[in-house]
Amino acid sequence: MKMRRRKQFEAEMDAELRFHIESYVADLVRSGVSREEAERRARVEFGSVEARKDECRQAWGLQRLDELRADLRLAFRTIRRSPGLATIAVLSLALAIGANAAIFGVFDAVMLRLLPVRDPSRLVFVQMVGVAGWDGPPYPFFELLRNQAKSFKEVSAFSPSAIELIADRGREMARGVWVSGNFYETLGVRPLIGRTLTASDDDTPGKGGRNGAVAVISDTYWRRRFGGDPQVIGRTIYVYKQAVTIVGVMPAEIMRLEPGYATDIAVPMMLSDPVKMRDRTSLWLFVVARLRPAVGVKQARAEADALFQAYVADVQIPAEVRTRLFHHMDLAPAAKGLGGLRHRFSKPLTALMALSGLVLLAACVNITNLMLARAVARQRDFAVRLAIGAGRGRLVRQNVTEALVLVGAGAIFGIVLARMGQTALAAFFAQGNNTIVLDLSLDARLLLFTAGLGLLTGLAVGIAPALRAAGNDPAAGLQIGSRSIAGSRVSMRLGRALVVIQVALSMVLLAGAGLFIRSLRELRSVDLGFVREGILTMEVAPERQLNGSPEWLAMQAEILERVRQIPGVLSCGWTTMNPMSGRDRGAIIEVPGFAARTEEDKEIHLAAVSPEYFDTLGVPTSLGREFTPGDHGGALKVAILNDTAARFYFPHANPIGRKIRFVNYPSSDLLYEIVGVVRDTVHDDIREPASRFIYLPIGQHVDRINRLALAARCSGDPITFATSVRRHIQTVRSTLLILNVSTMERQIEQMLLRERLVATLSAAFGIVALVLAGIGLYGILSYAVTRRTNEIGIRMALGATSNGVLWMVLREALALAGGGIVIAIPAVVVLAHAAKASLYGVGPFDPLAFAAAALLLAGFAALAAVVPGRRASSLDPTTALRSE
Amino acid sequence: MNKQVDLLQGTLDMLILKAVSLGGLHGYGVLLRLQQLTGGRLQIQQGSLYPALYRLERKGLITSEWGESDHRRKAKFYKLSASGRRQLEAETARWNDFASVVAGVLGAVPGES
Repeated sequence: MKMRRRKQFEAEMDAELRFHIESYVADLVRSGVSREEAERRARVEFGSVEARKDECRQAWGLQRLDELRADLRLAFRTIRRSPGLATIAVLSLALAIGANAAIFGVFDAVMLRLLPVRDPSRLVFVQMVGVAGWDGPPYPFFELLRNQAKSFKEVSAFSPSAIELIADRGREMARGVWVSGNFYETLGVRPLIGRTLTASDDDTPGKGGRNGAVAVISDTYWRRRFGGDPQVIGRTIYVYKQAVTIVGVMPAEIMRLEPGYATDIAVPMMLSDPVKMRDRTSLWLFVVARLRPAVGVKQARAEADALFQAYVADVQIPAEVRTRLFHHMDLAPAAKGLGGLRHRFSKPLTALMALSGLVLLAACVNITNLMLARAVARQRDFAVRLAIGAGRGRLVRQNVTEALVLVGAGAIFGIVLARMGQTALAAFFAQGNNTIVLDLSLDARLLLFTAGLGLLTGLAVGIAPALRAAGNDPAAGLQIGSRSIAGSRVSMRLGRALVVIQVALSMVLLAGAGLFIRSLRELRSVDLGFVREGILTMEVAPERQLNGSPEWLAMQAEILERVRQIPGVLSCGWTTMNPMSGRDRGAIIEVPGFAARTEEDKEIHLAAVSPEYFDTLGVPTSLGREFTPGDHGGALKVAILNDTAARFYFPHANPIGRKIRFVNYPSSDLLYEIVGVVRDTVHDDIREPASRFIYLPIGQHVDRINRLALAARCSGDPITFATSVRRHIQTVRSTLLILNVSTMERQIEQMLLRERLVATLSAAFGIVALVLAGIGLYGILSYAVTRRTNEIGIRMALGATSNGVLWMVLREALALAGGGIVIAIPAVVVLAHAAKASLYGVGPFDPLAFAAAALLLAGFAALAAVVPGRRASSLDPTTALRSE
Repeated sequence: MNKQVDLLQGTLDMLILKAVSLGGLHGYGVLLRLQQLTGGRLQIQQGSLYPALYRLERKGLITSEWGESDHRRKAKFYKLSASGRRQLEAETARWNDFASVVAGVLGAVPGES
């Protein structure tokens, strides 16, 4: 009830009762009683006005509210009386709740949240499934499904891809997505301004729609590239060479069904590569469909599969490939979008949720301990209240209210900290070239989570001290002197137990952090097969018409020439894909004399490289030679294998001079002679051994060469060479696009994003827990010293030295810490076992990590013992003995 | 003077509902009306009237409004609400049933079965 209304209630009640009494008095006076006597009788017959008012308030349901207000007032007063305790409690809660809320925000964004589309539960991905996994079906099958399947209200497709844009004569590679015209109608996503794409925008191959080519852009791209100008609708930009009209601006997070990846523009499928669209086996699409009302997933799956089986019967596919990928159709829920991000981060985020939960537990134990200590100190106070008639229930409620006030303040600060943490986390995810964009806004779910967490925490930390307060025997409590506290032996024991638990929790967190940090160090020191320091990397893309042309080849050579001239650049080379770039390309080869047992045996990773590339990366040649300028398009076709591939295909023979053949190409008679073998390099997954690789000279590559990656070895920090390298490239041709400028070391760090995230956060959590344990130890030791002042006096009087007393306190601290450390070790081993997949190079029982954590804790325990120990050892025996 | 009767537990609410059903009354008026209706035979603690009135209003059985008393003073007047009227009818019926059953038992003559 609001204050003002409450005041009115009181005033009206007062007026009403007064009216009654005065009316009665007036009636009595009229009947001849003297005024004085009338007033006396009225008072007697009415009874106590205040008691009646209380009954009225109770009847009106105000009593509860009044009590709550009194509890709150008392809570604030006690908190103000011991601001130190309140500060520690609120701060530690804020840290713990903030950590939990921040991690939950990321967990929610990555793992739980449904996409903001219409009725997401009716959306399904239509996928081909085989023993090798799943993929989207080829375009012709998508068309078949869209035109014939009756189970789906709509069937649409999308394919994320870098798309070249020219606007205002500026050329750039945008993060694009090819979409079927009905894609956004299927999702039920509305444009922010303008209109969205429709089926009629995507019905003419090479042209888009009958009324011209159109596209929609994302709001982030709109703001970044066009300054948020609403006049953008109707503007013409170029997608490659094609003039395209922008018709709408869409919300960025739903431009493609894949959370976490930013998109700039969506262009109708009909403007993409017509060859790929006609190909009956090419895999480049994701197909998403909306089920018709009342159609079950089972029924829809059966229909899609029947259509698919008829489709594949008509396509030439080797039996092996059929079982691997073209086996049958399946439907998967699409409500959360594609699961790439989810898959990548589910384990680390689950681990972090668990760790932040432990931090919260440590904070709870800390505060429980502080409040218990205070409850003991306030025993007299409680005894007095019980003695004068307060109910035990009221005392419990009073204590819980106090805990909730503290936790409430903690939760509010926690939200502030969580917001700061989320900003840092979002920046963490957004670093590097393949940025992950997380929507970490302060939404109702996060607030609800925090409020629920706060309530649970408040009850958890409030209940024990409350029950203790209510369990007081008033008779005994009133006799308590200021010094000897009855029952304190029990409370000391409980306090010690709680401190041991706190130490154990921090040990778990610190040892866990140790394991993750060790894993990260191990991963960082893995021999990748190349020299990672000093390498500048960037990608260079020519205009589309130059793809695969001799001019582009000539330019490549000229660029190498020029870059090599830059002082400080030691060597440089081209490749279709650098290690650690996230790019990959597979091929299928046949090796005469090698009997492939499965189709998989023929698969190999393929890259084209220029002369001097292996030199630049520092990859030594094991056998034969590197490529030279002589290996041009007209020369004998040559190839280089890595060690793994050489061992695999030629286990007992020298591979030099042997031939391999690429299959699956229109002119499938592509024979290459092996001229060299180079050392293995790790291409993307540092945890895995190197895979089979084959390298071709760029001039002899099986693909038309378009975008290439440059690697340059520099003396000094490579990134400082970026500007001059860029300038030299653009002197050769000013319109060359330069993308993803980075260094090899940065790219490696980018690959280790997950591991760095877990190591950094678990270390932060460990430190918070360590500080909390230190506070807990300090509290219990100070209390023990105060309680034992008398005893210490006796010891000193009997000859104990001050060093001996100091040692006594220190010993207690170390004993408590030791207890916690010992009980924590089995828990760490069990937890580390569960997180084994996230560890690398260390076992769940890692003596080094454990010893470091234990040492850190012991050091902190000693530190916590210093102040109380000094106080104890500097006591004057005569005063101490007299202390009461 | 007639003999005084003690108020039965829980009947005060019913009597108040009856009193205000005959027209809007202020608290003191309820007391006077009840004394008049019972011929002064019912002992009512004056103060206990108000918690009962607040309780009934909280339950929505009566409504209140500030108005002017006979002596031109401001007073709070209570009147029966629609749900209060239904409640009063139900209570009256229940009371009559109860009274007749109890009267029947107490009035039974030995030998009659």
